[in-house]
Formats: sequence, structure tokens, C-alpha cells
Amino acid sequence: MTGVLTEAVARLLLAPSLILAAAILVKGYSDVGDGFTAGVVAGLAVLLQYAAFGYRRVERVLPVRAAVGVALAGLALALAVAFVPLLWGAEAVTHYPRPAEHVVHVGTVELLTAVAFDVGVFLLVLGMSVGAVDAFARAAGERREP
Amino acid sequence: MTPSRLLSLGGVTLAGAGFVALLAVWLLGGGAVDLPWAPTLGSRLAFRVDGLAALYGLLATGIGLAVFVYARAYLPIHLAHQGRPEAHGVRLYAFLLLFLVSMVGLVTAQDVIVLFVFWDLTAIASYYLIGFDRQDERDRRAALMALLVTGASAVLLLVGVLILRDRYGTLAIDPILAAAEGDRATSTAAVLIAVAALAKSAQAPLHFWLPRAMVAPTPVSAYLHSAAMVAAGVFLLGRFHPLLREVPGLLEGLVAVGIASMAVGGVLALTRDELKQILAYSTVAQYGYVVFLLGLGTAASAAAASLYVLVHAGAKCALFLSAGAVTAATGENRLSRLGGLARPLPVLAGATGLAGAALAALPATAGFFADELFFGAALERGAAFAAVALASAALTLAYIGRFWTEIFLGARAVEADRLPALLVGPVVALAGLLLAAGFFAAPLARLARDAAETTWRAPVDVSLAYHLDARPENLLALATYALGAVLLVARRWWWPAALAAARVGERAGPERLYHGGLELLNRLSDRIHDVEVRDLRTRVAAVLVPASVLVALGVAVTGAAGVYTTGSIAADDVGLALVLSLAALAALAATFPRHHVTIALVLASGGLSLAVAYAFFGAPDVALVVVAVETMLGLALLGVFALLPRRVLRREARVPTSGRRRWRDPLVGVASAFFAFVLVWSALSRPAPDESIAAELTRLAPEAHAADVVTAVLADFRGLDTLVEITVLAVALLGVGALVRRRAA
Repeated sequence: MTGVLTEAVARLLLAPSLILAAAILVKGYSDVGDGFTAGVVAGLAVLLQYAAFGYRRVERVLPVRAAVGVALAGLALALAVAFVPLLWGAEAVTHYPRPAEHVVHVGTVELLTAVAFDVGVFLLVLGMSVGAVDAFARAAGERREP
Repeated sequence: MTPSRLLSLGGVTLAGAGFVALLAVWLLGGGAVDLPWAPTLGSRLAFRVDGLAALYGLLATGIGLAVFVYARAYLPIHLAHQGRPEAHGVRLYAFLLLFLVSMVGLVTAQDVIVLFVFWDLTAIASYYLIGFDRQDERDRRAALMALLVTGASAVLLLVGVLILRDRYGTLAIDPILAAAEGDRATSTAAVLIAVAALAKSAQAPLHFWLPRAMVAPTPVSAYLHSAAMVAAGVFLLGRFHPLLREVPGLLEGLVAVGIASMAVGGVLALTRDELKQILAYSTVAQYGYVVFLLGLGTAASAAAASLYVLVHAGAKCALFLSAGAVTAATGENRLSRLGGLARPLPVLAGATGLAGAALAALPATAGFFADELFFGAALERGAAFAAVALASAALTLAYIGRFWTEIFLGARAVEADRLPALLVGPVVALAGLLLAAGFFAAPLARLARDAAETTWRAPVDVSLAYHLDARPENLLALATYALGAVLLVARRWWWPAALAAARVGERAGPERLYHGGLELLNRLSDRIHDVEVRDLRTRVAAVLVPASVLVALGVAVTGAAGVYTTGSIAADDVGLALVLSLAALAALAATFPRHHVTIALVLASGGLSLAVAYAFFGAPDVALVVVAVETMLGLALLGVFALLPRRVLRREARVPTSGRRRWRDPLVGVASAFFAFVLVWSALSRPAPDESIAAELTRLAPEAHAADVVTAVLADFRGLDTLVEITVLAVALLGVGALVRRRAA
């Protein structure tokens, strides 16, 4: 079903897509895009690999087995950012540095807890899309070739 | 140590420690805790140990201790009998603990919302405990019945306390009771609270759930009937008594319910054969005494009610534990198959006899004082009330007498195994307490007095002593013994009449109404379910049609004049209008093709044209998300089609639309589209507010160090929403994984 061309395109697109996703993610607070979009874009890039190579070859090259773990790690990160401030009496989802405080910039990236929260969303969405695709691909593949 | 044993030990420790702590606090004159909880609601975690809380709290922990000790010996036998592993005991201990804690929370609560929460927790705990043998359908039905009756009535309690908050402006119980007046709002609330309490206390006509609930393991029954659940109902009546007193006619209603329950419970207890059924109907009757007394509405009756609850709890718990021990020893649970057990089980026979004597108000037990106060309170209100009291006391004596004599006396009917000490010990301990209180009644009197003073909100005098004279209470007691003995001996004369009464109750009683109502609800739900989920189209229509009807009603009610305005299209809007018409065209086009892949592609094109529209609006963030999501969605659809066998898709695409659907589906679609259009049009016709939320957020974004408003909204301003959404995503992922793995396996 998939030809040499598809495989070539898929292989060529993987790295740029992931770099695009990373860019969308880290520039989220200063430019268009956020963790969710970044997660979907990265997920699409991996999905393309599945379409081109099948789950067996993808699993050999990419760490897709960790998808569920990545998703849960993302959730844990977001939960931590949201609820740790409760420990010292601040409200849930209080981000630091507070308004009017100084923010450290690394290029366009701002070092904010809100960005960490967004990274959590990114990891969850990426893990979710890859994990779901992997589950279905595996189930379908194992049914065809038991 | 296994978790089951650990929990059991924890239960014993907690119940014991709770008992000692409550006792200490009560003897030291009470104590209170008051913590802020939900300031916006005005609700506080306020607890106080007053007289009433001390009485019921000591019962819940003291009886709880006996029950936990007993369960340690009983549960392994029970589980082994059913071939279940010992680990199943964890659930019983855990919910018994929850039950105990929520009872103590309930009786000490000083805030109506907190009170309601604990009230519901007792219902939940009892649901799991009654349905502990969940492999048995009868048990599950009984648990559901208890939950429905007490849970539905709990809603009345919630409505009642909210009415009170509305009327008195506070959630604290004490100020409400102090300010209580007999106006309409208060009356409504009082009636609702009383109904909730009566359902919980299994009073006629809502008594039917309690005899069913006796399918629970014996320790649970014992606890449920004596110190928890059922006791919670009369506790609530005692707690809100000052309020109930203000409402004309309510106390008379309580008296009527109490008399009905005494009659129903007493007569049915006489006719039952199963041990725990007898005791269950007895509970209905005994709490009928308490409701009757609270309905009499005097200081003396408040005192009598408090003392009665105390004595009944000890005696009823002992009787239940004894019934369980008898069944454990012989494997039989029916009176007709038991007999002559006094010889092999002398200690149990003696202890059970003492507990029965206390319930039947024989002298030298605490029960005598309880009935003395009961008679005194009834006499105070007149001869008719005294006659009622006499009749129900005689009934009690008769069925308890029947219970004890037919188990322990007469010819040996079955063999009895030796019983472990832990099964007999709690019965003996409770019986010993009841006996001791028959001679040293001062602690009992003090506890009852303190509780009655909370209920009555004025000093109450309780003095318990034997008087060897011809005062009316003594005469009534003697008449009770005589009448009860006659009933016991002359069984042949009344037996057919009592059986007939029981049968009438089964045929036309409130339980039939419950079953009928349940069946009706079930059928209605089935019908709606059938219509809703027949196929994907009806499922979509089930959402769209009611929504359209609601919009149509809204338009009809509010009128259309001036709501719908039209603007003009400026030159720079032309591009946007074109893109939007492209999206509309795509949507329309998606309704024609029959080939699945074509439908997916056309749908995606509609979504992508919307992305272009967003880009025109200057919302690049949203446009980006739409592109990403549409791509993902389109690919997912194509992936599903690739997984389906080719011929299934081809066959499905060729299935002709049936005659009914050919008209129904377009009609549903057009009608809902029309009303959605109307709704959107009216919304867009409104002039935009000056400072909209969007402008506010845009102003705030730089303060949150964000150049991109949308990301700031997602991660910061509405961060909690995002958190909930991604949690749902994670759960969905786990669900997908489990589902697929299960299908593959």
C-alpha cells in the first residue's frame, strides 16, 4: 500500500515536524501556538511514520512504547504546577514569577511556571495521540498476522 | 498481618478510643470544634459534643466496639460458609469504619450542610454493607431498596435545611433552633426534615426496607438497627425537636406514625419465623415508641425517648449478635427449626434472656426504667395514650418471649457446635451492662437527662428508681406482663388474625407501591433509551431536537421584536464572506456523497475553510488549532475506514435509506439548523458590551508576562479548566488502551 515515495517523505518530514512542534511549544508564550497545538503537530509527525512504515518498524526506531508514560508524566507535571502553590497558601494555578516581577529570558523562551504547565499539556497530548494510534495499530496488526 | 485483620484491629481501636474520648469530653462538660470550610456558602466544619451528641456518639462507638469485636470471629465463618476469601472482609471493615465515623460526625455536627453530608454518608455505607454478599441478588435488591428509600428522603432533608438557611440566614443549627417560628417556610422545612428522619428510622409506611436489609451479615444488622442508620432518624427528630414543636399539627403526626409503626412492627414481629426478621420488625416497633414519645412533646417524653434509645440500642444489638451466634452454631435461622438450645449454649441463653428482658421491660434491667418513663409520659397526656403504650409494651413482651422461648426452651431440634468466645463475649458484655444499669441507673439517667435537655432546650428531671407502691406506672407494667403472658400462652386464638394482617400488608402494603414505582421508572428509562440509542442518527437527534424545542420555546416566550437586526457587508468583509460560504457549501455537500472516504474528505474541507475564516478574523492561534485538529480528525476517520473490511464499507454505502428515515433525518437536520441560526442571529444582533471579557483578558495578558493572549488564557487565566480537560484526555487514553487490549486478548 505504501510506496517508496511515502517512506521517503515520511522520513524527510519527521525531524522538521518535531522541530516545528518544539518551536511552537517554546514560543507559546510570546507567539502564536501553545502546548496543545505543538502536541498535535508532533503527534501527526509520528502518525505519518506509522502510516508509512507500520508499527513494527516504527517501534524499532522511535520510543513509542513510552507514549502512555509520557502522557502521564505530562499530566503529573501540569498537576504539580497547578497544585503545589496550595502548599504555601496560594491559590491553585498560581504562576511564578508573579506579575511585575522580573522574568528571565533565554532567547524567546520565558522562564515561567506557566510555560512548564504548557509543556505538561504538550507531553500529554503527544503521548495521548501516539499512544492511541499505537494501540489501534498494534491491535489491527496482531489480528492480521497473529 | 492481612489487611482484613489490620482493618478489624483498627476498627476496634478507633471505636474504643472514640468511646473513651467522647465519654471524657461529655463528663468534662462538652467541647466544640469550629473550622472554616466553605466560606462562600457560609458553611463551617462545626462540631460539638452536647448531651444529644454524647448519647448517640457513645452508642455509635460503644456498640461499634462490640460489633467490631464480634465481627472478628463472625466474618471468617460467614465468608468460609460462602466459599469466599478472607480478603473480602476488608470491604466490610472499611465500610463499618466509615459508618462509625459518619455517625459520630452526624451527631456532633452543628452545621446543617455538614449534617447532611454525614447523613448521606451513612446511607452510602449502609448500601455497601447491606449488599456485602453481592453475589446474591436478594442482597443487592435489599441494598438498593435501602439506598433508594433513605437516599431519596435525604434529598428532602437537603431541601429542608436549605429552606431554613433561606429563612434564617444561617447554616448553624443552634441559631436556627433558637429563632424558630411557626411560619410557612419553617413548617415546610420541618415537615421535610421529619419525613427524611422517619424514612431513615424505618417508620410506617416507609418501614419496608428495614426487614429486607436484614440480609446483611449479622454484625452489620446489629449495628444498623441499634446505633447507626435507624438511630440516625430519631436522632434527627431529637436534634430538630425545637423546630418541629413550632409547627402546628406536626407532633400529632409523629404520634400517629409512632402508633402505626408500633402496631405494624409489633404484629409482624409476632408472625415472622426468621430470627432476624423478627428483630427487624421489632426495631420498627421500638423506634415507633421513640417517635411516639417525641410526638407527645413534653419534657418527660423527651427524657423517656432518650432513655429508650439507649436501652433499645444495647438490647437490640445483643439480640442480633445472639441470633447470629445461634445461626453460626446450628446453621439454622428459623424459629420453627430451633429449640432447646439452653442446654448446649447456657451462657448465650442467659445473656440473650437478659437482653430480651431489658427490651420487654422486666424489672432488674435497665428496660424497666425505660418503660416506666414511657408509661409516665403517656399517662401525662391521657388514658388513651396510656392504653396505646400498654398495648405495644405487651406486644413487645409477647414477641420477645416467643423469640427466646422457641430458641432456647422446648425439645432439642438441632445440634449446636461450640461457639468461639468472641461470638458470645459481646452479647454477655451488653447483657451485663443492661443488668448493671437495672441496679445502678445513675449514669444512664445522667446521659438521658443531658440528651433530653438538648432536645427540650430546658432543664429536664430524670430520676430512675424502683417504687414499691401502686402508682399508675407500676400498675401499667404489671398489666403489660399479664397481657404479654396471655398473648404468649393463648397463641392459638390470635395467630390466624395476625397472619392475615401480615398477608394484607404484603398484598397491599407500601412495598408494592415501591416496586410498582421502580418498575414504572425502569420502563420509562428503557423506552427513552430505545429511542435515543437505536442508531447514531437518533442519538444525534436526541440532543438536537430537545435543544431546538427549547430555543423555539425561548423565542416564543421572549418575542422576536427588535432582537434580529441586519448589518451591511463592507468591502473588506467580502473575503470573509466568501470563505464562510465555502464552509457552508462544504457542510451542505457532505450530506450527498455515499462513499465513506469522500464524506470524510468533504467534512475536513469544511473544517479547514473555517480555519481560513479564523485567520481572517485575526485569530491565528485558533486557526492553527483548527488545522491541526482537522488534520488529525480526518486521518483518524481514514484510519478507521482502512481498518474496516472493504466489503462492509461497500455494502453500507449501498444500503438504501428507508422510507421513514428519508423524511425524518432531513427534517431533524433542517429544523435544528434553523433554530441554531435563529439563536446565533439574535446573539450577534446584540450590541457588543463596552469592556468585553476578551478586552479584559487582552489587557491582563502582558501582566502575566504573555505576548500571546490565547496561551495565557489556556495556561494561566483558565488553567484549572485546562487541567480538567487534559485529565479527561489522560483517562480517555487509558480507556482506549484497556479497551483495545481487551479486544485483542
